Amino acid sequence: MELDAATLAGLFLHAFSLWYVIVPAVLIGIVMGAIPGFAAHNTIIILLPLTLAFDVETALVFMVALYCASHLGGGVPAILVNIPGTGGAAATTLDGYPMTKKGEAQKALALSFVASVLGGLISSVVTLFALPYLSRVGYYVHSVEMVVVMLFGLALIASIAAQDMLKGLIAGAFGLMLGSMGADHIYAAPRGTFGLLELFDGVPLVPALIGLFAISEALVMLEETSIVRAEDGAGARPVDWPATLRNVAYACTKWWHITWCSLLGLVIGVIPGAGASIAAFVAYQQSLFFSKTPEAYGRGHPEGVVAPEAANNGVTTGTLVPLLAIGVPGGSTAAVMMVVLQFHGFPFGPRLFVEAPGLAYGVIVAMAVSYVLMIPMIFPMVRYLSKVTVVSTLYLAPLIVAFTLVGAFVPRGFVFDIGIAIAFGLIGYVARKTGYHVAAILIGVILGPLIERSFILAMRISGNDPFVMFSSAIGNVLWVLLVLTLVMPYVLKRLRERSGPPAAEGAE
Amino acid sequence: MSQQGKPSKPVLADLILPVGAAAYAVYYVLSVRSFPFQAQVSGMAMAILVCLLVSIFLVRTLIGLRRGRYRLGLGDFLGPPESVPNRLLFVGFILAYVAAVPWLGFTLTTFVFLCLSFAVVGVRPWRRVVVVAGTAALVGWLFFIVLLGTRFPAGPFERLMGALF
Repeated sequence: MELDAATLAGLFLHAFSLWYVIVPAVLIGIVMGAIPGFAAHNTIIILLPLTLAFDVETALVFMVALYCASHLGGGVPAILVNIPGTGGAAATTLDGYPMTKKGEAQKALALSFVASVLGGLISSVVTLFALPYLSRVGYYVHSVEMVVVMLFGLALIASIAAQDMLKGLIAGAFGLMLGSMGADHIYAAPRGTFGLLELFDGVPLVPALIGLFAISEALVMLEETSIVRAEDGAGARPVDWPATLRNVAYACTKWWHITWCSLLGLVIGVIPGAGASIAAFVAYQQSLFFSKTPEAYGRGHPEGVVAPEAANNGVTTGTLVPLLAIGVPGGSTAAVMMVVLQFHGFPFGPRLFVEAPGLAYGVIVAMAVSYVLMIPMIFPMVRYLSKVTVVSTLYLAPLIVAFTLVGAFVPRGFVFDIGIAIAFGLIGYVARKTGYHVAAILIGVILGPLIERSFILAMRISGNDPFVMFSSAIGNVLWVLLVLTLVMPYVLKRLRERSGPPAAEGAE
Repeated sequence: MSQQGKPSKPVLADLILPVGAAAYAVYYVLSVRSFPFQAQVSGMAMAILVCLLVSIFLVRTLIGLRRGRYRLGLGDFLGPPESVPNRLLFVGFILAYVAAVPWLGFTLTTFVFLCLSFAVVGVRPWRRVVVVAGTAALVGWLFFIVLLGTRFPAGPFERLMGALF
């Protein structure tokens, strides 16, 4: 199938004709993405009987639209109440919530939505043309490179999320340690489980996310009566249509930042297992690294919202590339899509492009169209969603606890998991109050089992030779980058101290 | 006060997480000591990493204490002292929620939890407490259980509604 102008126009027109599938999927995706515990793949699994009843094209369009919208929705609570709806939005809390506390929730939401829509749109269009080349990325990343990629991601998070890098590294390592809990991959021997059967499969991620972000935030929230600081006078600020449009126009001026961050997200998304959380943190760190005002990050800097959100949505098409190109799902949502393709008797991988090229390219075009159709649906929300911040924390904190705790129950159906969420909530409270960023712990918990799997695979292949970790050129480059990530902040800080006083806080 | 005249920073709360992490790392190593090498190796590597980082942190803290930059104390770790009893009660309600939800189900437990929590954190008048808690619990039941069919714990309310509709 040749991708000429006529074919493309046909694919786009066909995708637009499925608006009646995309619009409800987008609405469901935004709502579910904004609720911690209801990630896209959980929602798609809940709705699987419905999608299996559709024809394969409608089912895939419905799923990709819901998936893209859930990535966008995850940023909404991250900005408004410091609770990311999905792991990919964890980096958005770093500057999104400080903007809310300064009374700029409306602006932060506009930045997030513009970055998400443009980022997702750009990466979808690029994927359409670069699919043959992107699919090769997966071939170059083996177990050794995966270990270094993940350690690199964790080091980045530790260095940017916490104000004190040593505390960030301790939080990340503690997360890794907790992530290593459970049966090992070869002998199924239970490790560090306190003898609890429910922990044999390791720490469940949804209760960990809910505890670290939602429960701990609710506990901290009760120390104040309002999210927004009284001295910022946010309640007096106008929340009207002209202000919304001004904020959207301002967000569009960050188009170059959005473009390169979404492409970064796309490339990271192509690596199976790397995921949106790493992509968002890498984009945040790169944005900070190349910024003229790095000291403004973490205090409510607009580019600190744009970078992770663009990457978080750039990942969406990236995770589908391994499934479409080589038949390996790049994430849990792609795995569910694989099930649907299998159910309908369609192949995946290169054979899909031979037997049903319209379907293969159509999925990516549907993602682009979903982002286009999101525009009229989400921008009116900016005006109304930002009003959440004026609700008293006396109401917000109990509501957050009640509705997120039960979300911890959903994935496995164990009441025990609600207890895990509370335990992580207490860990999160201590972390928040003492400057160990909860995002570093969460990413450690997510990456712990993944690093272990790749590490053991590499060791087995090499006959337990630890120097295998330095045996690949790509891996060695990543090791150097990892060391630079840990050393450069100190070097840059020293250089800035020598060159003069820091710029004013909140500079843009 | 420190040597430079700056107020010293309380660091006792800062030690909770590293000490907890190191304790878990030691327990983890003990729990795998009799396992085959392949089952031990990655956990051991992570435990060594945790203990190394925590040791550096403890040394840094000790130096800070000796130089007067740090002092042993909790600072504002628990937040405003006047609201500590109420917030501790709130944590107690969260624990009670876990105990009650398998018996009372999602809707009733949420309603009772919200009523008690709103009351203890200071929401008034009582009628507003009951109306907001009741509305939130019913909206949650409608959205999650009726619309989405989520497998939340079922109790008397869910069973009654299931029998009626």
